[in-house]
Amino acid sequence: MTHPLSGRRVLVVEDESLVAMLLETILEDMGCTPVGPASNIDEGEAMAREAELDAALLDVNVAGRQVFPVAAALKARGVPFVFSTGYGESGLPDEWRGNTTIQKPFTEAAIRNALMQALGVAEV
Amino acid sequence: MNDHFTVEQLDAGLRAAFEASPNAYILLTPDLHILQANQTYLDLTGARREDILGQPLFAAFDSGPAETAPENVRQVQASLEKARETRQRDHLALVHFATPRTLDDGRQVFKERVWSATHTPILNAQGEVTMLLQHTVDITHLSDTPRADTTVTALDAIVGGSLLLRAQSVQEDNLRLESERNRLVEMFMQAPGFVAILSGPHHRFQMHNPAYGQLIGHRDIAGKPIREALPELAGQGFFEILDTVFETGEPYEGRESLAQLQRSPDARLEPLYLNFIYQPIRDDAGSVVGIFVQGHDVTANVEAAQRQKLMIDELNHRVKNTLATVQSIAIQTARSHVDPHTFAETFQSRILALSHTHNLLTQSHWEGAELRAILQHETEAYGPTRISLNGPPVSLAPAAVLSLGMIFHELATNAAKYGALHTEDGRVLIDWAIADQRAPRLVLSWREIGGPKVTPPDRRGFGSRLIERNIRHDLAGQVDLVYAPDGLIVELTVPLDRTLDQ
Repeated sequence: MTHPLSGRRVLVVEDESLVAMLLETILEDMGCTPVGPASNIDEGEAMAREAELDAALLDVNVAGRQVFPVAAALKARGVPFVFSTGYGESGLPDEWRGNTTIQKPFTEAAIRNALMQALGVAEV
Repeated sequence: MNDHFTVEQLDAGLRAAFEASPNAYILLTPDLHILQANQTYLDLTGARREDILGQPLFAAFDSGPAETAPENVRQVQASLEKARETRQRDHLALVHFATPRTLDDGRQVFKERVWSATHTPILNAQGEVTMLLQHTVDITHLSDTPRADTTVTALDAIVGGSLLLRAQSVQEDNLRLESERNRLVEMFMQAPGFVAILSGPHHRFQMHNPAYGQLIGHRDIAGKPIREALPELAGQGFFEILDTVFETGEPYEGRESLAQLQRSPDARLEPLYLNFIYQPIRDDAGSVVGIFVQGHDVTANVEAAQRQKLMIDELNHRVKNTLATVQSIAIQTARSHVDPHTFAETFQSRILALSHTHNLLTQSHWEGAELRAILQHETEAYGPTRISLNGPPVSLAPAAVLSLGMIFHELATNAAKYGALHTEDGRVLIDWAIADQRAPRLVLSWREIGGPKVTPPDRRGFGSRLIERNIRHDLAGQVDLVYAPDGLIVELTVPLDRTLDQ
């Protein structure tokens, strides 16, 4: 059985390396190819514009800055993304509210469901 | 009783009583010429009998040269004419009328006074009006109403206006109520919150207390309509709310309302958060005559709440990030430790290492920590003879402290399990220096000697991944792990300006 997410290239923007490592491990387990991880906004924006991507996982607060420029670059390319945040959806500005969001700390199932929701694919 | 007096005697007695009455009386012809005035009237008005007898009333008393005089005259004349036409007594509750006074140097000045008057028609047997009697009381001291054209002001309506409309009532009552009124006004003036009384449909400032003055930079607003007095409030919604309160009579309460106010001349608008109430003021007939404004500046509270929300959000972010870090350590430790006992031991020591570096940072209020202190913390369990620490003092920023704390913990644990600290003779030599003073870099080497023969691991474990990731990802540095046969050698370079900035 092929997992619906297998082979997808997923950008990770996350400043905490231990959390980034966990995300990579979870993504690899699902058959995805992690891209990055980017540890700051500038790096994340460059990857969002240039890298070959199917989806992205974006930490909202990256080294004291908010991730929204990266989100805007992805949106412009039509790449779906998931926010990860300790604040919950209430911490998002109105413009981004309603986008798929997962709360830290997260489970593997939460990440898989969020990515499938963002990509618009169903469980096989 | 009449039997004891002749008509002449009675007439004389009544004349004397009229003349001696403590009430002020003046007797007029139906066409308002002066027939007689008693002594109290003359004393009160300062007129001389010989100057006024036979004169038209408003030639003798014209209320002086002030702009308001014709209106004062009109009101008195209207009341007299009403009494004459209706043949009923007419009360003129409150009227302004100026009377002359001669100064020592002979100049004549007019003083505006406030009166209450009753006009009584005197009828003959046929019911025709033959004379008009005016009884007047000077109530100037009961009213500080400054303008002659003001009938009932908003202030009067709430602190004793009805009193002035019943000015003929007992004077002692008036005096008592006047002191009551003064006490209320005093209370308003001293209130810690801001208080203002707006009169009429254009919301003229009739009264405001010092706290209100402070709110608006002590501008001169007395008597001005609010749109003229505080023009910067246009477009902020307050004028429209006042209009609605005046029209509907419904009070309005504002909570943490943002007002942009000019607090000193030429200053920029200052944002203030206000809690306030607009309370309609009604006269005796129930019509809205003004608005009572009362409130507090709650800017400090609102800003404190905003700061608190920021702090809670930041704390929440840090707590959730820390939990995610712990989660990551748990999951990745579990992957390399199938046995629950060794998992628990390794997981716990990693969490404790994280906790220790937090302690170091707490001691410095999160300003940073010394490199040597971090190294000592992670290696002290193995004794000073087995660990050599050699290098200058280096201050590290919090992000570098957290990363290096985890890294040295992984290296020390690895050495104790498989490396130089696993045998009794093995040692670890840690040397560091700062290279390139213009763009300072920490260059550090960790060399293990005297341990068992080293073989490179089959696969990269959590520890080595964590070290590489932390140095490259978090600290923008470089790291080399060399599995030399004599012992592990780790060489790392970390830019210091970056770690100091963070």
